[in-house]
Amino acid sequence: MTAQETQTPTVERLDDAHSRVTLALEIGLYPIDVLYGAAYIFIDRAYVLLDKDEGVGRPGRYLVHLRGKNPMSHEQLLALCGEFGNELLSQALRRKVVKQNQKIIEEITTQAIAGAAGGTLPTDFLANQDDGLDFLDDPLGIAVPWEEKFKKKKDEPGAAP
Amino acid sequence: MSNPNQTVLLHRALYMQQAIKQAAETFADFASFAISRQGAHYAVAISDIDAEADGDVVAEFCNFALYNTMQRKRKKI
Repeated sequence: MTAQETQTPTVERLDDAHSRVTLALEIGLYPIDVLYGAAYIFIDRAYVLLDKDEGVGRPGRYLVHLRGKNPMSHEQLLALCGEFGNELLSQALRRKVVKQNQKIIEEITTQAIAGAAGGTLPTDFLANQDDGLDFLDDPLGIAVPWEEKFKKKKDEPGAAP
Repeated sequence: MSNPNQTVLLHRALYMQQAIKQAAETFADFASFAISRQGAHYAVAISDIDAEADGDVVAEFCNFALYNTMQRKRKKI
């Protein structure tokens, strides 16, 4: 068994003359989102065509047809295949990390949005909003001037003569 | 030299019909597109390809169809 046969994705066909290569990867190995993610990275420098080989008597495979937008040598095509394999792993890891941290990401985002919206008021504060007071009522005596509030009475000891 | 008429098979599990239609609209000035179902694939018959057009119209169309599919699937999540 050669290294090319054991690696994933496997190089199914390589056509130097037309800068074309076909990769195959087992369907169960990579989720479809991972395949899309990797294909997206290559879309600017290669023509990408995805296909599916249902497979009779063996596991199904995704086929990835890549063709360089510019002419590519044999080595460059092999490098392209390697890069695609790396990108698949990178996308798979990214997906795993996002999944693991989904709750934290959602919580931070919620807090950031709430903060930007001016924060939320406690519910009991909102419930007690109507306390039956007029705006001129001053039950805590906040509007009473300091002198009036703390004026010592004439007959109190220590009062000025 | 590219063929004047070509048929591209896009797997229905991997490409969305609306995404293919959208790509066909994008390239409507450069070719004519007819989309039909053929087993597990969408068969896109591409004809009247503008010989003056820069680049490979068919391959660019496929890239657009793929990109549009990705965009639509992402919006669905």
